[in-house]
Amino acid sequence: MNRMQCLKSIKVRRSPWILTRFKSTDASASEVEHFRNLAPTWWDTHGNQRILHLMNLARLDFIQRNIRNTIKIENSDIYVPGFNYKKFLPKDISTAVQEEFDNEIEKILISRKLKVLDVGCGGGILAESMGRLPYVQHVTGVDLTKDCIEVAKLHAKKDPALKGKLTYELKAVEDVEPNEGYDIVTCFEMLEHVDSPSSILSHSWRKLKPNGILFISTINKDLISWFTTIFMGEYVLKIVPVGTHHLNKYVNSKDIIKWFQSTVPNKYQVMDVKGTMYLPFKAWVEHNCSDVGNYFLAIKKLPK
Amino acid sequence: MLKSYNTAFKLVRHMATSASKSPKLTDVFIVGGGPAGLGLATGIKTSSKLKHLNTVLVDGGDIKGKVAPFYDNPPDFYTNRVVSVTHPTREFIEDKLGATLRKDRIMSYDGICVTDGVSKGLIDMERPGMAWMVEILNVQSSLLNRINQLKPSGFNLLDKTKVVDIKYSDPEDASSWILVSLDNGETYKTRLLIGADGFNSRVKTFSGILSQGWFYNKSAVVATMKLDMEPLKIRGWQRFLPTGPIAHLPLPGDNATLVWSTTNELAKLLTSIPVEQFTELVNAAFVLEDVDMKYYYNQLMNGKMTTTELKEDVQFRTNQILASLSDESMADDIYPPPITDVLDHTRAKFPLKLFHADTYCQERIALLGDAAHATHPLAGQGLNMGLCDTDALVRALESATDRGLDVGSLFALEPFWSERYPINCKLLSLADNCHKIYSNTFPPIVGMRTLGANIINQIGPIKDYISGTLSYSGKY
Repeated sequence: MNRMQCLKSIKVRRSPWILTRFKSTDASASEVEHFRNLAPTWWDTHGNQRILHLMNLARLDFIQRNIRNTIKIENSDIYVPGFNYKKFLPKDISTAVQEEFDNEIEKILISRKLKVLDVGCGGGILAESMGRLPYVQHVTGVDLTKDCIEVAKLHAKKDPALKGKLTYELKAVEDVEPNEGYDIVTCFEMLEHVDSPSSILSHSWRKLKPNGILFISTINKDLISWFTTIFMGEYVLKIVPVGTHHLNKYVNSKDIIKWFQSTVPNKYQVMDVKGTMYLPFKAWVEHNCSDVGNYFLAIKKLPK
Repeated sequence: MLKSYNTAFKLVRHMATSASKSPKLTDVFIVGGGPAGLGLATGIKTSSKLKHLNTVLVDGGDIKGKVAPFYDNPPDFYTNRVVSVTHPTREFIEDKLGATLRKDRIMSYDGICVTDGVSKGLIDMERPGMAWMVEILNVQSSLLNRINQLKPSGFNLLDKTKVVDIKYSDPEDASSWILVSLDNGETYKTRLLIGADGFNSRVKTFSGILSQGWFYNKSAVVATMKLDMEPLKIRGWQRFLPTGPIAHLPLPGDNATLVWSTTNELAKLLTSIPVEQFTELVNAAFVLEDVDMKYYYNQLMNGKMTTTELKEDVQFRTNQILASLSDESMADDIYPPPITDVLDHTRAKFPLKLFHADTYCQERIALLGDAAHATHPLAGQGLNMGLCDTDALVRALESATDRGLDVGSLFALEPFWSERYPINCKLLSLADNCHKIYSNTFPPIVGMRTLGANIINQIGPIKDYISGTLSYSGKY
């Protein structure tokens, strides 16, 4: 792939409205076709989805941390030191304190039996991971690419531990029942593949219970994102297939927060927003420049 | 048409499942109850993140009847399978797994003195608390004791049981769960199969993972020895003879343990001669010259020397060498305390080899300890590499569980082997290169290694780095 072609790919205009579309959250036919081709190798952790599998590790760290941060320990038997105990206490004591603390949080979480909705689940990488967390009772994954849903269903069958914990459906997020039925809704690596991110956001928000958390991960619309995700990722290092990303569909983290400000003012709380980047040979790591490149976002729905 | 095919298919399937007993599901199936396998079982059941994993451990030996009782009822002599336990290993066993080794049967030592069998090369490494000499039974039984304390749910220890067959539950799919059949008639279907079953690992054979390496065509002779008195300075001695290194390492009180690597032929001789002659040869090997040793081997092989003659000759020549020392007190620094006896039934030999598996894991399979690597005992790292592998695997499984991965998938196991492979490579090559450099008798090479050893001996930081690498199993 030469440089001219790379440059051309930036100039691609958003595809014209397809006449057959009838849902505001529909993906364009070309996106569906693209993911249909990817479906068979979705679970090949050494194939072209490896980068996504690796990213999933960072997603889970982000999700776990944010969910745990919402838990307040009210059990007075658990000692919660009000200082940097890891620095001042001997190692064996600080690990014991940490362990007791973690176990209590785990206990509270398990009693909550969370329900998760994964919007744009693809082959089910995130949905399976969420399904294995001990405090998640059920995960519903929806996607618009039939082949991906089939791959996801087939793969989930391989693990008896997931039995009854996962449902995959070929449908748009607006058709998911019921409203206010989910403790966690995730839109990971999908807003950059849809034509109308705002309608995805508003429908996803509607599915969330009060006090539930919406997790979003997508890519800022900037030159660095183009350089890392398209130029390096698709053309130079060929980590992901050409045509996976379109710069004009990227969404800035600030715009998402602005959207919440204008659409549901005072009903949301931004819990955490972190930039994330891939260090070759290492892993995806979080950083604090959330308006550059890829980012994770956690937004809590405040009770009425 | 399709419908009738479907019902026929169902019928066949139904008959197939009713004919053979349906397998029991488990998350982790460990083959081998050595330190690595038991360490993993303890690690899983100790970790708050992993204890939900159903775990089965099988071993062909009598673990419950012969290994476990050691903890409360050890024999009054020291067994011959003694290992040097380094810092990371001890931290893993005691701090992470919460097991307590029997303290009265452990000897901490403060350095090691390495000498050359054909020259005056000497590296005298002093390092307080360098490592601990521990019987393998002590390690195993402490781990078993810890498991019993935990009273874990979802753990099954099957000893005196052998694996009869291993296969994929779906022969077409190498990422499907693995079926393990046992000689007691049971079959398990497991998410993750662990090969901790030693050098001739059945799991490794099944996995198709290849190893690189070679046999040294040498054997190690081990034995428990008695000293004439408790040594003042507790340290190890290793002398590189042209036939292989001989090591004398401390045990509590007036006990010590021996690892003598030598040719297969001499190993046979050393384990067959009367124990009095063997005792004399051990003392001679640390002091006398190579020609003297060759003479003794020859005479003993041809039965031309009696025990008394040998004893007198060794005594005479030893005194000659001690008298030639410039300073008499030097003898205590470069020669180990003489031994008075060897416990006859503890004399044993095993072949020496170097092997390293190309990878330690693939979908649904991980190899631990000797199944993944075999090393020359001269650096005292074999067991430590195995238990550090186990530590890394436990951490990889914990992090995979946090991230909701299938703990049997290669993706979850990769961090374990990518952490351990380079360190193990380094330790294996360390032992192998020492062996090769020192088994050579070509004078220029002997001259160079003697010069090298004497230079190292004078430069503190290099010596510290070497003893640190040994004392921290490559994590220094």
